[in-house]
Amino acid sequence: MPSKRAAEDSADWASSSKRSRRTRDDDDYVNVDVDDDLHDAPSPPDSSLIPRGATIKFSALTRKLAETQIPKDGVEDGDLDVHHRQQDKLVSHMFQDQDFSWLHLKPDHASRPLWISPEDGHIILEAFSPIAEQAQDFLVAISEPVSRPAFIHEYKLTSYSLYAAVSVGLQTEDIIEVLNRLSKVPVPESIVRFIRERTLSYGKVKLVLKHNKYYVESSHPETLQVLLKDKVIREARVHSQPTDNSIKAATFTTSKAPVKGNLVIPGTKETDKKKDDAAGKGSANASATDAELFTSVVGVEGDEVDEDDDNVHAFEIDDGKIDDVKKRCNELEYPMLEEYDFRNDTINANLDIDLKPSTVIRPYQETSLSKMFGNGRARSGIIVLPCGAGKTLVGITAACTIKKSCLVLCTSSVSVMQWKQQFQQWSNVTDRQIAVFTADQKEKFAGDSGIVISTYSMVANTHNRSHESKKMMEFLTSREWGFILLDEVHVVPAAMFRRVVTTIKAHSKLGLTATLVREDDKIADLNYMIGPKLYEANWMDLAAKGHIANVQCAEVWCPMTPEFYREYLREQSRKRMLLYCMNPRKFQACQFLIKYHEDRGDKIIVFSDNVFALEAYAKKLGKLYIHGGTGQVERMRILQWFQHSPDVNTIFLSKVGDTSIDLPEATCLIQISSHFGSRRQEAQRLGRILRAKRRNDEGFNAFFYSLVSNDTQEMFYSTKRQQFLIDQGYAFKVITHLDGLENLPDLVYKSRDEQIELLSSVLLANESEADLGTDVRAGEGDLAGTITSKDFGMPSKFPAVQRTSGSLTALSGAQHMSYVEQNKSANKKLAREQAPRHKLFAKRDKDVATARKEAKAAARS
Amino acid sequence: MKAIKGVLLTCDSAVKQILLTMNEKESFIIEDLDDYHVVIKADEEWRVRRELEAELEKNTYSLE
Repeated sequence: MPSKRAAEDSADWASSSKRSRRTRDDDDYVNVDVDDDLHDAPSPPDSSLIPRGATIKFSALTRKLAETQIPKDGVEDGDLDVHHRQQDKLVSHMFQDQDFSWLHLKPDHASRPLWISPEDGHIILEAFSPIAEQAQDFLVAISEPVSRPAFIHEYKLTSYSLYAAVSVGLQTEDIIEVLNRLSKVPVPESIVRFIRERTLSYGKVKLVLKHNKYYVESSHPETLQVLLKDKVIREARVHSQPTDNSIKAATFTTSKAPVKGNLVIPGTKETDKKKDDAAGKGSANASATDAELFTSVVGVEGDEVDEDDDNVHAFEIDDGKIDDVKKRCNELEYPMLEEYDFRNDTINANLDIDLKPSTVIRPYQETSLSKMFGNGRARSGIIVLPCGAGKTLVGITAACTIKKSCLVLCTSSVSVMQWKQQFQQWSNVTDRQIAVFTADQKEKFAGDSGIVISTYSMVANTHNRSHESKKMMEFLTSREWGFILLDEVHVVPAAMFRRVVTTIKAHSKLGLTATLVREDDKIADLNYMIGPKLYEANWMDLAAKGHIANVQCAEVWCPMTPEFYREYLREQSRKRMLLYCMNPRKFQACQFLIKYHEDRGDKIIVFSDNVFALEAYAKKLGKLYIHGGTGQVERMRILQWFQHSPDVNTIFLSKVGDTSIDLPEATCLIQISSHFGSRRQEAQRLGRILRAKRRNDEGFNAFFYSLVSNDTQEMFYSTKRQQFLIDQGYAFKVITHLDGLENLPDLVYKSRDEQIELLSSVLLANESEADLGTDVRAGEGDLAGTITSKDFGMPSKFPAVQRTSGSLTALSGAQHMSYVEQNKSANKKLAREQAPRHKLFAKRDKDVATARKEAKAAARS
Repeated sequence: MKAIKGVLLTCDSAVKQILLTMNEKESFIIEDLDDYHVVIKADEEWRVRRELEAELEKNTYSLE
């Protein structure tokens, strides 16, 4: 037991020998004492039963720890010690319950990177410790990351994270052992109890589909006995043979535990290795390094040892009663893991798809897939990868591994097309095998097996459907799907999920997302409906390795001009938003940043949710812009110029950039109107637009600026955003003043008069102009919350009818002025030249036009 | 002529605008000098400070 400080009055902290004597009396925790382990026998010889990677080499670990240990002399500074204790007493009352200074520090605590809080299971990790990386791998497997900036990480032990750990094969005692090893203080009793409670009940029971029959499987027959005592489960059990009351028949079917064996995930390094050596296990035996100490507990190869090598027991249950059985097991605290033995599935037709040989899988993608296919079966679960890290490829690879009919569900019709295009790009699926089900297109694939891509709303919709949709839904529900891929699970509401899961019969489910925390906290349901979190990537790690851009996020604070601010204070309606967006100082800051980055040779995208502001900025600064109202041809032209021409380095985008298919890549993103509250959408935008350009110099290669007006509502959300980005590990800073702003040549809105003119134009604007994302309308079948802030919004009401009289000149406003366009839209300049259109499309348009003309002429006559 | 005790407030332009709006509800400004200076009644000073802080609090997000 950790002894209270009071009991230690006589002992000196610094005298290690005395302490170790005392701790040897405390037998409750494993305290790695340096002296002991040096006498340990050398690691056991490599035996064929236990692969080398699976053994934890104590001596090597403690040797390493000893090397980094700060040497403690016998000399103690008595005065300093007393002083410290006095200080602690003074401070401790501030912490009240959370004063944990009475916890026993191990003598070599400086070299251990962890500290666990006894109260709430939070783990603080020193990320600068030499063994931090392995510790991180371990912690990610057993706990949820809360905040991961550069030097100190915070993780949280929750039931779900332990559940996930068990489902990938970690054992309770191993978890506690490693935690003790890494922790500065012995793991508190309450935490040990918590871990034991959670892990011992989870993961014991599996629901397996074998030879098209459902089995409840477990390696512990006692567990199955307990389950069968429950009425609901007993009734669901199917007896394949006539019941025989002898003891032999009452035992369950037994079989060998599943082994990864020859399963090779396409595209991974193993496919190459397989060609070289016969045994699939050969790839595990690299030279023994300290890294293996931890990978043995965490890593893939260890799965084979951690699961019982003994037989597993199972009993069959009725197909129709699966949901009831699952629910019942959850209630009994034996939640079932779901695994799909796709290799032995004979009834469902195989889908012959494979990744293209040119496709390369990155290491973190490989790790996440190996967590899913760890023991040769497909586990259901959720994989968390940051935006732009290649989630789609992970899903496609999983589908190519399972090789059964696959259903992909996305959030909007645009993503559907994106997925289809990605499938065709990365795998060798033929057009016949892939089908799309949206409001506009309803296809079926030819043949017995194939891929259907659709949206959640189409599938979960309970309203009346068109005849076509109904037929399509029957097609979907009538067959068994080997694999269902759920994109962006954090957006989908739980109720919709439940409907999808109950109507569609799928053997394994994979959820993909960038962030697992949901705004409505329905994360609990996801765990039961899809499965535990299989893998979560570390953003900073990925950025360091160059897979996602290393982004420098900055907030630029722009003070409001007095006139604007006064109007802002007066105005209480939605127009406030317009006022702080159109702040002249913001224009200036934007101009400055654009000039600065263009000089560096960056490609810049300026983003604005609000269309009014977008047009004003683009026109004033003379840049090209794209919003919902821009025609398709014009869009293509602008994007082409942006990507290939050195003259066009900046474009202004509205929300269409989020959902359009062809997103340009840029290295600098400036946001002039921030989106309240939805930090995740911002982070998603970040990930999609900013791609890392390999640069030789270290440091940041992508920049994100958010322009915020001082002393307005924007500041409130900016702090919120800051928190989120910091938690993700983005470097964040605030710029309060742009050096050299005043000296910029051609600075816009320099004079007071210009500013007042701008203010008057803003005040005249319609209130509806202040809304965000008005130019993008959600299509039918798009999920709420993904496209616009007001989905399915009504078109803006026309102003009420008015009657006036006057001359035509007066009515059209031309009485007192002559009209001259000052801010020419830069778009129009481009429009003068003929758009480079391909002959085929030009011809097609011409044909359509002539056909229409003829039809009109024919109708008339 | 009555002499009114006044206090000179120096602030930035944004805060001055807030003071002007507050002034419309209960007047305390004696004279508006320029963009950064304002003279207010001395008795009101403490109340004005408190209300100003409340206004500015609305814009800050505190971590719960």
